[in-house]
Amino acid sequence: MSLEKIGQDEWVAQVEARRQKQNPVVAEITARWGRLPRVGKIILIVLIPVLLPIFVQNDYILRVGGLVWLYAVLALGLNVVVGLTGLLDLGYVAFFGVGGYGYALLSSAQFNIHLPTWVSLPLVTLFTAGVGFMLGLPTLRLQGDYLAIVTLGFGQIFVQLMTSMNRVGLPGLSAPINLTGGPNGIVALDPLHFLSLTMHSVTSYYYLLLLTLALVLVAIINLNRSRIGRAWRAIREDALAAEAMGIPTNRLRLLAFAVGAGIAGFAGCLFAAWQQSVFPGNFDVPLLITLYAMVVLGGAGSLWGMIAGAFVITVVPEVLRPGIQLLGIELQQIVFFGGILALLAIALRPRWRLFAVLGAVILSGIIVHLIAAALFPEQITGGTNLITAWLTIPVNTTTATSVGNFLFFIVVGLFVLLTQMPARWRDPVLVVALYLLAFVWQTRLSQEPSTTVLLLTGVALIMLMNYRPQGLLGQRRVEIA
Amino acid sequence: MNTMPLLELEAVSKRFGGLQAVKELSFSVAAGEIVSLIGPNGAGKTTVLNLITGLYRPDQGHIRFEGRDLSGLAVNAITVRGIARTFQSLRLFLNMSVIENVMAAAYPRTQAQFWQIVLRRPFFRQEEARIRQLAEQKLAFFGERLAGYRYDQPAYSLSYANRRRLELARAMATEPKLLLLDEPAAGMNPHETQEITHLIGDLRNRGQYTILIIEHDMQVIEGVSDRVIVLDYGEKIAEGSYREVVRNERVIEAYLGRKHGNTKSAAARA
Repeated sequence: MSLEKIGQDEWVAQVEARRQKQNPVVAEITARWGRLPRVGKIILIVLIPVLLPIFVQNDYILRVGGLVWLYAVLALGLNVVVGLTGLLDLGYVAFFGVGGYGYALLSSAQFNIHLPTWVSLPLVTLFTAGVGFMLGLPTLRLQGDYLAIVTLGFGQIFVQLMTSMNRVGLPGLSAPINLTGGPNGIVALDPLHFLSLTMHSVTSYYYLLLLTLALVLVAIINLNRSRIGRAWRAIREDALAAEAMGIPTNRLRLLAFAVGAGIAGFAGCLFAAWQQSVFPGNFDVPLLITLYAMVVLGGAGSLWGMIAGAFVITVVPEVLRPGIQLLGIELQQIVFFGGILALLAIALRPRWRLFAVLGAVILSGIIVHLIAAALFPEQITGGTNLITAWLTIPVNTTTATSVGNFLFFIVVGLFVLLTQMPARWRDPVLVVALYLLAFVWQTRLSQEPSTTVLLLTGVALIMLMNYRPQGLLGQRRVEIA
Repeated sequence: MNTMPLLELEAVSKRFGGLQAVKELSFSVAAGEIVSLIGPNGAGKTTVLNLITGLYRPDQGHIRFEGRDLSGLAVNAITVRGIARTFQSLRLFLNMSVIENVMAAAYPRTQAQFWQIVLRRPFFRQEEARIRQLAEQKLAFFGERLAGYRYDQPAYSLSYANRRRLELARAMATEPKLLLLDEPAAGMNPHETQEITHLIGDLRNRGQYTILIIEHDMQVIEGVSDRVIVLDYGEKIAEGSYREVVRNERVIEAYLGRKHGNTKSAAARA
């Protein structure tokens, strides 16, 4: 073997290292994380979520925290089917629903069944895993898009059934019976009850969901590093080659379906008990899309990525809500302008470009403000706090709204234009676009948080998928190489 | 001496619509032999491999391995019986690491159950250590090429020749008795081709595998074959040692075409 060849092969082998180099900010964060001693990592990962309820006795924050853990559990289960085994399952949310309704029927006045928690939880989990297995059977021969359509149908059938099974006629019954409560759902469920402990408080569900997440995460990490996990990923990579290497692909696909469904079923029980009710709408397509956004954002196939995805998708809408104060400033302002600053810091290099653009935006803002104040005194004002004081905003809210609406389209157009523009024109246009964006944010976006969240999530996903298609913590995948 | 062949095809036929891909094909491979299957493009060589590995079902005839009929067995069940293959157009698990590619193929030789894995019971940990060792041992067959730091590289980062080697290692990890190699030298440079020729010999001598190989490169065929079987239009047209086969008139005809109106003189010259 000649020396030159070793060199060439090593060059090929280092392909991943070279790709990682691209972004200094990301590289810096990963390097710092890598330098942390193991103890430090464990403290950061475990201690912060465990101690949070002790320092933050705010039910709202704990509720959001509990939701993050719940979504992370669901995303981990979905990841087994989609990320590891590579089966595009669009009926996943129905398993969550089977768990929720299963718990509801066994713990409510609907049929006056009140099973103890330690019976109903395992029972419903096993039942849901069984449903996953059953759904897997007829879909064994389906791949890709076809599997997606069939499972999507299954999900829709579930929602339809839950909505319409409040009047089920059966032979031998004089009147139809109410099985699922229809659109009104099933309410007043029993809270979870272990030994002598009845779970009412938000804190108790926070901890229960955190514990569930920890157990599910460890279980899937173990599975992933075993014969089963390798076989799942082998099926994802090349099902035919996997079969030819002696892997019983059918059995493993069914196992993946059952494991994913079981996790979703268990999560469904906890969810139902937590909100003490279930409705068909809880288990519909919007949740499915949210979960897929988490899986894609976190990086399909990456386990820690599921937690990251659940965190981002759950927490970002919350912090963009108006009315939350941090150090006397609206939290949504800090998040929005902080996010823009971070993006600019990544995009604008060398560093002086960043300062030049920011300086130009604020300076031109102040100049516009002064001119406008001189021309139309008492008709304009600035932003409400220090961050936005340099803006020029009409006092008349109707005018502000209509100008904001109009400028919104201009801003979108400018940013699209920016990506297609020769480099030397970019910075001046960027200054204009940023100024207008701040105006639109102040007059429109911050007033309509729910729409803004959707817009920003969409923009963030588009940018992420362009710059980091493997997701936040995912490994870059190669399809054909 | 036990004369039962390891692999035996008896009058196997396979038709795809109007195309008779394999017709009444019979041959056998004895334990410890290296047999080459050659023929012009479209002669049905890969179809034969797909029939043996269970990807296709024969329309007629029987395929026996160690005296037992393979018909009706699933692809993975045939692998478990002891037949492993490589693919002409590499089918690695590209986004898995090198060592995982090999360990994945040890699946049928492992037993750890779901709960033993989730709870990391000692049985699972021991088995995991064992197949890790097995995988390293199979990769060691290729010397430094796939050793050490490469274990944890993703398979897609390997060079083409190393991918072919990795596919071999993966097939070996199923612990087969019979290895089916579909054009192992395709896309390799002359130096690498020479290396693979040595390697195939090594696989038999050191690895104790019986080998059935499809190949276009005549250097490889000449270098390794105990016996050569020639297919044309799905039929066996010749069988024998390399020297016998390359002089066979029907083989020359199949590869080069018939000299128009002059077959008798061609036969006389041969």
